[in-house]
Amino acid sequence: MLFFLPIDFINDLLLKFFSADMVNYVVWPFIQVVLVISLVTGWVAAANYLERKVSAFMQARLGPMRVGPWGILQPIADGIKLLTKEDFIPDKADRWIFFIAPYIAVAAAFIVFVVVPFGPDWAVIADINIGLLFVLAVSSVGVLALILAGWSSNSKYSLLGALRSSAQMISYEVAMGLSLIGALMFARTLSLSSIVSAQSGDSIWFLVYQPLGFLVFLVSGIAENNRAPFDLPEAESELVAGFHTEYSGFRWSLFFMAEYAAMVVVSAVAVTVYLGGWYFPFVYQLTEAKGYHNLYVIVSLLVFIGKLSAILYLYFWLRWTLPRFRYDQLMDIGWKWLIPASLINIGTSAISIFVVQALNGWRGLKTIESLSGGLNLTGTGKGVMIVLGLVGLGVTGLLLGRINWRSRDFNLKSQRRNIKLVNIPQGKPAVPVVASEG
Amino acid sequence: MPLVKVPKPRFIEKIQRFFMVDLLRGLKLTLKYNIGAMTGADPVAGKGIYTEQYPKNRPDVAPRFHGAPRLNMDPETHDTLCIACNLCALACPEDCIDVIPLDIEVMVAGKARKKKVLDEFIFDTSRCMFCALCQEACPTYCLELTQDFELATYSRAGFVWNREMLEQGRETVKYTR
Repeated sequence: MLFFLPIDFINDLLLKFFSADMVNYVVWPFIQVVLVISLVTGWVAAANYLERKVSAFMQARLGPMRVGPWGILQPIADGIKLLTKEDFIPDKADRWIFFIAPYIAVAAAFIVFVVVPFGPDWAVIADINIGLLFVLAVSSVGVLALILAGWSSNSKYSLLGALRSSAQMISYEVAMGLSLIGALMFARTLSLSSIVSAQSGDSIWFLVYQPLGFLVFLVSGIAENNRAPFDLPEAESELVAGFHTEYSGFRWSLFFMAEYAAMVVVSAVAVTVYLGGWYFPFVYQLTEAKGYHNLYVIVSLLVFIGKLSAILYLYFWLRWTLPRFRYDQLMDIGWKWLIPASLINIGTSAISIFVVQALNGWRGLKTIESLSGGLNLTGTGKGVMIVLGLVGLGVTGLLLGRINWRSRDFNLKSQRRNIKLVNIPQGKPAVPVVASEG
Repeated sequence: MPLVKVPKPRFIEKIQRFFMVDLLRGLKLTLKYNIGAMTGADPVAGKGIYTEQYPKNRPDVAPRFHGAPRLNMDPETHDTLCIACNLCALACPEDCIDVIPLDIEVMVAGKARKKKVLDEFIFDTSRCMFCALCQEACPTYCLELTQDFELATYSRAGFVWNREMLEQGRETVKYTR
């Protein structure tokens, strides 16, 4: 493969200057880190453009058209504008926290990319065995930045945004973590690379085993990122700009970067856990099996980016379709629907795995192939598992619908239905009614 | 006796709510517009994007649109067609036209005759309501309201057009990109 010669060439060149350990554990990771950071920053710039274009197209508009062909240089113009703006600090703001909050947001969003498996082999920076836990823990720190920013701004709008953000975090972080457990039962590991290889070894996406888990994760992920329709912390029509009302210039752009990077993080976790990560049918047989290792990595990388962009488009799509939820509706969805649904999902996943294990060997049925790399099922096992997953989805929906049926009375619609006229005494009218002359 | 009659949801509506049919409908609509904008085909109106890129592409105004006034000239001799009859000033409901005539001596068939010709024509576009009654009144098709719509100026005085501006047209910057 002539195209990938430079990689081997650089490796040989580095080995002349450094020891093998140094090259493997310091130099190459450093190159990976620089690449990922620049790619994510590039994505932020691209997302700025894409979001405006997608929103424009969905409203039959054109979007930015004046800077460069089809307005493609608009992010650069925006960046220059933001860098040259005044860095404004409100009077009596908590200066240090005000300074630090954007950096916490950016750091929390970018650190997570360490464990995201963009592809096999050299396309992942660090494959740590608690990868998923690391992602959940670090990405939650991003919310701390919003709370600090809102608190330190000395502005009522910012404070309200921060309050909403903290309440939202409490509601949705739980559902997000719990919804992943069902998928982890199949993968039997927390390492993100191993989750992908468990899916590729089974040649199936966990989405088909865990439709409910995927839905809950997606909704709570969008809520976690403060994206519309859950963008209550920065609701521009209610709170000016929410937690970043008082931020301007570069610090504001850091929040912007953090938001879009966090979007990629949640999408990457969704892709890794539920959509098979970099696994795609026939890629392994066509490349790696024939000896083209680097081509295999690159194609897997492209597959991953393709799946990622599908989820990211979903973000834009939902944003420009749905109006913002009211605050009580947001809490309602979080506490009454998503958290119970994810708890039920854990139960149904456990039961269905137990059923499939019990079926193994019953009347000559063979459902489980191996337990080495995750739960590898045979064709029968897969069928049973998919059916059980769909049944679980339906059962959860019906159960929660039944439970929440009465509690939806908080909803005004039901109250309005039951309004009765109070029996007001019909006294004499102050002005006597003039008898109409017939 | 309920104050507001809210119909109870029927079974089919409950099912629709359960499967979030409304959400999916909304998503379908936005996707349809997105694809329509990219392919340039919208099933509703036949075009995907409604934006008019104004300074670049000038809009087509309606055929009966009344815009900036103009004093037409004889295309051969380049003399004004205006005979200073003052009919336009009389027709104008806003009283924004001033026709200032001039008497000159002309020789007609060997005799000296006085003739009234146009000296100055003042048209106040800030007061004009573009009713085109002056255009209707003009016997020689001299005064005409054109399709040009860019009338903004930097001062109030700029709205008052003199004869030269009316004949030559006002200079405006035409942005092409």
